[in-house]
Amino acid sequence: MTQPRIRNFCGRTRREFLWEAGAGFGAVALSGLLGDSFFAQQAVAADGTTPFRNPLAPRPPHFTPKAKSVIFLFMYGGPSQVDTFDYKPAMYGRDNQTVAVRTFGRAGHRNDGRIVEPRWRFRQYGSCGKWVSDLFPNLGQCVDDIAFIHSMTADAPVHGSAMLMMNSGRILSGHPALGSWVNYGLGTENQNLPGFVVMLDPRGGPISGAKNWSSGYMPAYLEGTMMRSSGTPILDLARPQNMSDATQRRLLDTLREYNEEHQTARGNNPALAARIANYELAYRMQSYAPEAVDLTQETEETKNLYGMNERRSEVFGRQCLLARRLVERGVRFVQVYSGGHHNDANWDAHGDMVFNHGMHAGETDKPIAGLIRDLKRRGLLDETLIVWGGEFGRQPTAEYPTGTGRDHNSYGFTMWLAGGGIKGGVSVGSTDELGAAAAENPYHVKHLHATILHQLGLDPDRLTYFYSGLDQKLVGVEGAEPIREVMT
Amino acid sequence: MTSPRQLIGLSILCASFWPWSARADQPMADAAGAKFFDKEVKPILQAHCFSCHGGEKKLKGGLNLTSRATLLEGGDHGEVIDLKKPRASLLLDAIHYKDKKMPPRGKLPQAQIEVLTKWVEMGVPYSDKAVVRHGPPKVDAKAKNFWAFRPVKRPDLPAVKKEAWVRNPIDAFVLAKLEAAGFEPAPPADKIALLRRVTYDLIGLPPTPDEVKAFLADNAPDAYEKVVDRLLASPHYGERWGRHWLDLVRYAETDSYERDGAKPFVWRYRDYVIRSLNEDKPYDQFIRDQLAGDELDKVTPDSIIATGYYRLGLWDDEPADPLLAMYDDLDDIVTTTGQTFLGLTVNCCRCHDHKIDPLPQKDYYRFLAFFHGIRRYGVRAFETVAAASLRPIALPEEAELQKKKIAEHKRRLDELAKKIEAIETEIEPKLEGGEKDDFKFPANRPGIVSKHAGGLVTFETFSKYRGLRLEREKLEKNAPTGMAQALCVTEVGPQPPETFVLARGNPQAKGDKVEPGFPSVLTDVGPVLPTPQSDAQSSGRRRVLAEWVASKDNALTWRVIANRLWQHHFGRGIVRSSSNFGYQGTPPTHPELLDWLASEFVSSGTRFKAMHRLMVLSNTYRMSAQPIAGPLAKDPENDLMWRFNPRRLSAEEVRDSILAASGNINLKKMFGPSIYPKIPAEVLAGQSQPGLGWGKSSPEEAARRSIYVHVKRSLPLPILSAFDAADTDATCPVRFTTTQPTQALGMINGEFMNDQAKVFAEDAAKNAGNNVQDQVRAILWRVTQREPTAKEIERGVRFMDRLRQDNIAAPEALRLYCLLALNLNEFMFLD
Repeated sequence: MTQPRIRNFCGRTRREFLWEAGAGFGAVALSGLLGDSFFAQQAVAADGTTPFRNPLAPRPPHFTPKAKSVIFLFMYGGPSQVDTFDYKPAMYGRDNQTVAVRTFGRAGHRNDGRIVEPRWRFRQYGSCGKWVSDLFPNLGQCVDDIAFIHSMTADAPVHGSAMLMMNSGRILSGHPALGSWVNYGLGTENQNLPGFVVMLDPRGGPISGAKNWSSGYMPAYLEGTMMRSSGTPILDLARPQNMSDATQRRLLDTLREYNEEHQTARGNNPALAARIANYELAYRMQSYAPEAVDLTQETEETKNLYGMNERRSEVFGRQCLLARRLVERGVRFVQVYSGGHHNDANWDAHGDMVFNHGMHAGETDKPIAGLIRDLKRRGLLDETLIVWGGEFGRQPTAEYPTGTGRDHNSYGFTMWLAGGGIKGGVSVGSTDELGAAAAENPYHVKHLHATILHQLGLDPDRLTYFYSGLDQKLVGVEGAEPIREVMT
Repeated sequence: MTSPRQLIGLSILCASFWPWSARADQPMADAAGAKFFDKEVKPILQAHCFSCHGGEKKLKGGLNLTSRATLLEGGDHGEVIDLKKPRASLLLDAIHYKDKKMPPRGKLPQAQIEVLTKWVEMGVPYSDKAVVRHGPPKVDAKAKNFWAFRPVKRPDLPAVKKEAWVRNPIDAFVLAKLEAAGFEPAPPADKIALLRRVTYDLIGLPPTPDEVKAFLADNAPDAYEKVVDRLLASPHYGERWGRHWLDLVRYAETDSYERDGAKPFVWRYRDYVIRSLNEDKPYDQFIRDQLAGDELDKVTPDSIIATGYYRLGLWDDEPADPLLAMYDDLDDIVTTTGQTFLGLTVNCCRCHDHKIDPLPQKDYYRFLAFFHGIRRYGVRAFETVAAASLRPIALPEEAELQKKKIAEHKRRLDELAKKIEAIETEIEPKLEGGEKDDFKFPANRPGIVSKHAGGLVTFETFSKYRGLRLEREKLEKNAPTGMAQALCVTEVGPQPPETFVLARGNPQAKGDKVEPGFPSVLTDVGPVLPTPQSDAQSSGRRRVLAEWVASKDNALTWRVIANRLWQHHFGRGIVRSSSNFGYQGTPPTHPELLDWLASEFVSSGTRFKAMHRLMVLSNTYRMSAQPIAGPLAKDPENDLMWRFNPRRLSAEEVRDSILAASGNINLKKMFGPSIYPKIPAEVLAGQSQPGLGWGKSSPEEAARRSIYVHVKRSLPLPILSAFDAADTDATCPVRFTTTQPTQALGMINGEFMNDQAKVFAEDAAKNAGNNVQDQVRAILWRVTQREPTAKEIERGVRFMDRLRQDNIAAPEALRLYCLLALNLNEFMFLD
């Protein structure tokens, strides 16, 4: 909203105010007289007659956006920065040396440790000459489209709370996820698909499950919808096996006759109208969503680009390709998890770096490179913001007396952004010579969140939601500046 | 005490709304200029400028735009306004993005640039309304006299014209406002609408067809009253109203975070709430139980269970910063207690003085000090939770008896062991070779002994031996059960740690030491703290807080609870923001009525049932929910209460009604450990270990009411979350009512719905016979609780006929009709 919020009640939008006040959606729709531009945008429901506004209808951003949608590639478990994108030549040749270094992970606080020399060589890529490890030979070729942030920090080196922080900005659960905030701020462009989609690793969800895509204190339609990459994509989307389309249509038509009669007898109650229209919307979703996930429409060449022809990258490749199809169709926020469940089923390499990161990078390198290239050749990269990273990074030193495993590290880690108004071929911030902690220009998760919101045309300090006596913000009450060095 | 620098830039929040006094250094502006400033300029400054140039947090470039005087003073770059040559003003350069670029995060839209340009040309007029607040609200006489904080005075009943409409005092207050605004109250609701309304309202279930028929046939003047009394006496009343309370106290049965572990015995708290309501326990006792049940004169198992209140929140069992986590836990308690019992967002002054309400930061820590002795829920492993948060709840005499039983059990086992051993000792030397070695292991002994029965061992000894062993086995299987335990609060001992004001809420930044105290705007009287014995289990501080909260003089307590009762009966509170009675809360639509209700509640012994009765028997409650064009246009929000507010069923009502309609609901079984209705595999797949922490209930168990469904924070039951059940991570005073396509998908395609439709169809076929018309009638009765019209029956018959023509078998057609019936708006909405 670029217009001044003069009509707002105490900084809240009318809508928030009404929710807070318990009027609910029905009363909100009723109050079309309020004159708020939110309400002025009355749409017509799928049936073409019933006035119905999907609460996720698109809303104008605060200012002209660079990106329309986000694909967040979540490397759950915490990928190691020094083995991937944060090149530390000083570590080479020093394997097993004990050094004084302050670390904090699941094994607690330590003041020294045994260096684990990265097991991969780094080489330079692109015209920017970015050093990338041999874990990512394909992604390496995309560095001119990527902005690396090497000085990320988070508040907790523990999966549960760090996941909540990366997803919702807080280490306490109960706060809306980034995807919920984005849909709250902008709505979504395709009413036949959810606005916030989450795709999980088939090995399992991340720790705390649905808390990571919960809408917290916001209404439930803002929470992430789990989408599967095979079979029925969304819960209850498919008709029961023994119900044909014709039967379902007959059921919905008869239902509608009853409901319209009921509504007519009750004047123009918008809550009743909304529920009638809602069945039509659901019906359309049923036919629309399967099309969105139908990969038979894609060429072999495209599938191969995403690594779907190789066993190890087939699943993540499919999910990345689905992510592209979803943003193409106007889904606002897609989150894809690499890694799930426990132990080495995700990037949590406590025991053996080579085994763990070899596996997860192997699964994702080609798909992610394919996603960037595919978006780019379709002209979609400019309007799609890709975010890559985990809930934290890993320590330069070993967790145990023997072996290569690394413990969690929230003092310094790497995340990267691409597309959506992001400058390619740049690296901002740095860690110390071992990659143990952020050194120059440290950034916090909230700065990353601010950057994502900013690229979408949302002012992180102005995107507020009144709850528990406060104007809540994703980036915290004190606000946060976006990272301008990575923007075009 | 607090410098403005400590304040966070939320100052703009209320500036457009709250009439803070003007600053003296502002010249009087002419009316047109002032109006232009207030209407056009100020919002732009607030949205784009004040966060850096607002004079509160950080003053960038030394420029302060909050008054004409400071604006004209300029900043580090010198003057920014040239009154003689306005067009040359530096401020205009900046907003046009010439040399300097302001605001830095993006050029203003052209329209706003034009407004500011015009303003500069006008000579930058300000108005006499201040633009930002300077410092937090003060705790002064004016604050103490705020409508919510001042003592409750029972108002006289207002005079009304249409006296005949007034059935009880509630009606007088409502009618007086209606008449003053030129409104008429809506006509009474029809009998069926009223019966559905009151039945759902009081017990959360639909009336049965028999109840409907009986009510329709009863023409006595007290027919409705009898219904109300029946419902208030129903055990299901506690199951319905208990849920409202559970929302407020963030009731959940797991801890959230990585493990999201189950809270042991937490369901006893849920049962305590249901029982308390059913017993009509006075609210003041309900307060004392929960806040200080362990510190009362008479501690009972119930009062211990009630303190489970403190253990319902989140628990991070491996916090990155344990000290901060402890304060986060205390904050959860301060937040929940402040909002639930007092309607105060005390939590807003954890880091700084409250921005909106007269609550200095010090008050937060004084309030927190009441709870500071509470032990953390646990440290990490389950044993630590058991140590800090579990206590046996057997009464002393029961415990004594239990001890005796255990001692007797042990004595008998010892006796048997001796006898068995004696026989074995006798046999052992007679054994040879490998058997001798094998005999060293007790598990082998019975086999060896029986092998030698009639040989080394006489039959007589063997049968004695066998008898002794069987007896021991039986005894071991029937050990006296462990004593009942409750999840409850415990403290570190008689002396809690000292409490300090924490600058910006940072546990490392200790400020002044504080003692326990009530919010200063509410009372001048400080708490009188007990001196506990040196061996006391707790400090006794919470008792002091509980007594103050529950005291008859605590105006907020009674206003807040009276408002909550109103909210749940009438669809919204007299104060809509029912957990925020502060300056930013919504003012009451009927302040006198609220005070009358609060005073009535206290004088009738703080019992809920009398208040329910009063409210639902009023004519206000009995009004029709039908919209009427004129009033609807004038008062669409129904602030005047000119009609009853229609509503959708709550999440629990939706699920319970589906089970009730299908004839499947298990209403008999109340209380006890929670149930696990089936959750689809697709949903379980979202867990890091699919299915972990979700049990399997038998069909009978799974058909119990929704209040008994296990509340797992990271895995809500889909049908409940789809229909806006409370988020359990924090106190929830008002639920959303959303309409979203996933609801419709679940209601048509979901496994639960399709299964229930099947049960429904089988039941309907059994009861209504084979005649399709009778079946349709019976089904519609179940979902709408009324006689269907001929047209409605005809429509259902036609629907099934057509399905039959499509070669769908009769039972399946009937099942589909049941599915349709469960989707009717009339089923989901109440008039």
